[in-house]
Amino acid sequence: MKSVVIAGFARSPFTPAYKGALARVRPDEIAAQVVRQLVAGSGIDPSTIEDLIVGCAFPEGEQGFNIARLIGFLAELPLGVGGVTVNRFCGSSMQAIHMAAGAMQMDAGEAYICAGVESMSRIPMTGFNPMPHPGLYSRYPQAYMGMGETAENIAKKYNLDRQQQDAFAVESQRKATTARNAGHFTDEIITIETPAGAVTNDGCIRADTTIDSLGSLKPAFSETGTVTAGTASPLTDGASAVLVTTEEFANRHNLDKLARIKAIAVSGCAPEIMGIGPVKSSQKALQRAGITVADLDVIELNEAFASQSLASIKDLDLDLAKINVDGGAIALGHPLGATGARITGKAAQILKRTGGRYALATQCIGGGQGIATVLEALS
Amino acid sequence: MNEIRKVGVIGAGVMGAGIAAHAANAGAEVVLLDVVSDAARQAIDKMLKTEPAPFMRPTIARKISPGTTVEDLPMLADCDWVIEAIVERPDIKQELYRAIAPHLHSNAVLSSNTSTLPLTVLVEGMADDLKRRFMITHFFNPPRYMRLLEIICTPETDEKRVEQIVAFGDVAMGKNIVMAKDTPGFIANRIGTFWLHAAVTEAVRQGIGVEEADAVLGRPAGVPGTGIFGLLDLVGLDLMPHILASFETALPPDDPFHKLGTVPQLLEKMISDGYTGRKGKGGFYRLNTSDGRKVKEVIDLTTGRYSIARRPKPDALSAARKNGLRGLLSHSSRESRYARTVLLKTLSYAASLVPEIADDPDSVDRAMRLGYNWKSGPFQLIDQIGPAWMVTALTEDGESVPEYLRMVGDRSFYQDDREHLLQFRHSGYAPVPRAPGVLLLQDIKRRSQPVFQNMSACLWDIGDGVACLEFTSKMNSLNPFILAMIDKAVSGLPSRGFKAMVIHNESANFSVGANIALLLYGAKFRLWPLVNWMLKRGQDTFQRMRFAPFPVVGAPSGMALGGGCEMLLHCDAVVAHAESYIGLVEAGVGIVPGWGGCKELLGRWTSCKDRPGGPMPPVMKTFETIAMARVSKSAVEARDFLFLRPHDDIVMNLDRLLYVAKERALALAETYSPPVPYTLNLPGATGRAALELGIRDFVLKGIATSHDALIGRELATVLSGDKTDALDQISEDRVLALERSAILSLARTGKTRARVEQMLKTGKPLRN
Repeated sequence: MKSVVIAGFARSPFTPAYKGALARVRPDEIAAQVVRQLVAGSGIDPSTIEDLIVGCAFPEGEQGFNIARLIGFLAELPLGVGGVTVNRFCGSSMQAIHMAAGAMQMDAGEAYICAGVESMSRIPMTGFNPMPHPGLYSRYPQAYMGMGETAENIAKKYNLDRQQQDAFAVESQRKATTARNAGHFTDEIITIETPAGAVTNDGCIRADTTIDSLGSLKPAFSETGTVTAGTASPLTDGASAVLVTTEEFANRHNLDKLARIKAIAVSGCAPEIMGIGPVKSSQKALQRAGITVADLDVIELNEAFASQSLASIKDLDLDLAKINVDGGAIALGHPLGATGARITGKAAQILKRTGGRYALATQCIGGGQGIATVLEALS
Repeated sequence: MNEIRKVGVIGAGVMGAGIAAHAANAGAEVVLLDVVSDAARQAIDKMLKTEPAPFMRPTIARKISPGTTVEDLPMLADCDWVIEAIVERPDIKQELYRAIAPHLHSNAVLSSNTSTLPLTVLVEGMADDLKRRFMITHFFNPPRYMRLLEIICTPETDEKRVEQIVAFGDVAMGKNIVMAKDTPGFIANRIGTFWLHAAVTEAVRQGIGVEEADAVLGRPAGVPGTGIFGLLDLVGLDLMPHILASFETALPPDDPFHKLGTVPQLLEKMISDGYTGRKGKGGFYRLNTSDGRKVKEVIDLTTGRYSIARRPKPDALSAARKNGLRGLLSHSSRESRYARTVLLKTLSYAASLVPEIADDPDSVDRAMRLGYNWKSGPFQLIDQIGPAWMVTALTEDGESVPEYLRMVGDRSFYQDDREHLLQFRHSGYAPVPRAPGVLLLQDIKRRSQPVFQNMSACLWDIGDGVACLEFTSKMNSLNPFILAMIDKAVSGLPSRGFKAMVIHNESANFSVGANIALLLYGAKFRLWPLVNWMLKRGQDTFQRMRFAPFPVVGAPSGMALGGGCEMLLHCDAVVAHAESYIGLVEAGVGIVPGWGGCKELLGRWTSCKDRPGGPMPPVMKTFETIAMARVSKSAVEARDFLFLRPHDDIVMNLDRLLYVAKERALALAETYSPPVPYTLNLPGATGRAALELGIRDFVLKGIATSHDALIGRELATVLSGDKTDALDQISEDRVLALERSAILSLARTGKTRARVEQMLKTGKPLRN
């Protein structure tokens, strides 16, 4: 197999939907600025890029047409660079990376931009025209189950009480705040220019979160439940992108290599407990990489909800100290299509920063799926 | 040059901020300044959370630019009108005027919202040029909702500037303007304070309980539900000593006010103990929540102790019911004696003040109706009692009789010569003036007979070939008589030479909806064909009205709910009073809109150009509006729900509503052709499944009950078009049939019947 590497990572600030600084900016515009700056910052000759693969969970409205191609135009990529939009809900932009890695194994090009975008302000989470299959809905309603309800199901199944979830969320906020203060986001966040001014900072992090402040929140999805707005990732606007190339290409073009893609996997699970998706997919990816959980130095586990994160950690027997050291989606936000590229880029970045050997990036996916990527440090 | 485009308000207290909000409602750009840094910004933020809302739509708050008087006076430079609403101290006000004068443009009007200070004092030391542009504009609290605006000028005030403010206050702000004289408290507060003070001092003196006092002085005299003591609690007891002290100083020594006596000791003690009314620990009434329940308690004026409110019904009330106000005042009970003392003193006081405080009875009556929410003004009340009877009563009681009351003698203050409403002035009877652009149905009714009439509706000829449909049923609920009247109008008006119809009435509410007692009757006795007939009857009538050969214009004010809203949805155009509260609230009584409300709202959302594409957005928007029983908090907000369309008009001044509606109807009539029916592409079963996903979430969250969910599913079936496919066009008739079928299904459930029953009994919705 060829060695495929992550050779660049950038993202927009992640800001809260509706009220945040990016709410009034079109998603294709946010993504184009991220792609343009990733290309400029990495030093890659844009004409060498094979394709722009963009993950997006609700590719309609301003995210419609083939948004990837349009982002290519907006970012003024050479016309010869392709553009394809991919949807695996929350796993969309990690899927973009997998597709690029797979294509390169087929000798289909040497460099890809794998991006993701979501404006949850401008395109509602079920899309403008939710039209479920009525027959499927009536005999298998969990196919369309809301994410909050699945988080409650997991909390029940794994006996995760309110205190455990609140404590996990406080920790996520603390880690994100510490990372921000330590400047760990400086390299990855690019400034988004908007008519209302430049947006340079994340907007979702709540540095003042405490157990007490979370304790006062009411359940968000079920009257009798334990999941609150504080233990769920917030609706977020943002875009992210990674540059994926063969190692040989990166060497030839003097690109800044972050990590090698060692193994990838997707898996399915029951949709009503979709949050457990990372378990099976991570197990598959680790096995394909020939390593075990004990070999991991860095773990990026997407925090769609505290409950599903805790359940996945338990089933995978992960070391809490290695997880989301720069904070997770509960603090940073979760612009659906953009998260996969963010956590893969982040895992690669931390691996390089900390000198570890193996990293895992994994996430759950609505409808009952998981996706995982194992990264290896470059010697 | 005469337009008011930008308004400056100085002082971000309750009144200043409220006036600023209402100036913004009126369409002006507004500058709000306060001496305290950030106070203006905080006042705007606070108003966005206040109920009832000072803004007609939250986004209107953006029209206000906050600032401070320390740094931002230059912001006043392009203001056409600057209103001062700061502390009631002449020296501080004069100092402010001096500070802002250099920043005002040469035609800007400066006014004070003072309620206690004379204009002559305020203008002391003011440059002549500014003096000519200075006046008092006295708003009432809350400025958006209280319709009275008292304006006080001097002979020196530039008439053009007065006209400018009158025009803006009337047309743009919707205020009913009363020109008052520069006398203490002007009109409403002069009489209102006397009345409140008399009620308190006499209750203490005569040993009458708070509840008894409110019972006899409230409803029989047409005073709002709070009663007098409840009103004092609302205003704030701590304000009373200040207001009374200012009248003590300002009024001449021979004014009857001084004879009322001083503030009772109990009141002073209540204030010092923090019992300042609703904003404090309580007032004459309080809600005791100590044992977890809300118990209304009332104070004993002798002992100062609270006990549970009993809602007494003194005998005097039945006398009032039988023989009106005169019956109450001539009854022999203690309570009646009390009411007689307070009312006769107050009415006599009012009669003694014309022409000192205002030129005519109508000005005084309007001020009390609109500033204190009295149902009838003092002179209307005197007419009800009988001026001659009142002279005798005053004499019997040893009270002096005002000259003006003697002058009217056996006659009354108001008379009707069929053409005009006349009022008694010192020079004789003269018409009550109506401003150009004001058309009142009461005037039409006074001078003509209805074209058609039945038990629940009338059709009036309001001139120029326009008819006006008026509901006369209880709370204007819609019933078969009203439907019959619409049918009669559709078939009978054209042959009588009418070319348009307006639907309007002068009640507090346009219509509270269909008479659901009929639905309950049908459901209880399982008379399903009757229920179906009733539904079809309403649908057919509204459709006939919609496709009538002449234009129909709805002109609502107040609540237009359920069937009332559906009626408006079937009009060619709506000219709505700004204070229109419109909504399809059927879910509250366990059903869905069944007289075409679902169909019309679907049609409107489908044709809305600004909505997202695809078959679902119209269905989802309509579902959300109906399932949540959304009621607009203003006509402006009604546009957001598409209860009003972009071409519908909003009129700020209620007195101008019918005139504008009639003009609109005439304009439509010129080139009228009935609308084209909607053809709808509805999503079918997939749409229903999508809505069910939302319903499921709402149940899980505890927002919807199981019966809400059932109503939601029935509504989902109607709005998704049941078994249709997005490629098939379905007719209005099909959606109407689905409406009927949904109601017939829901009416079979006990929970819907329980909802209807509770609404009929208590007027409040049941959540079951």
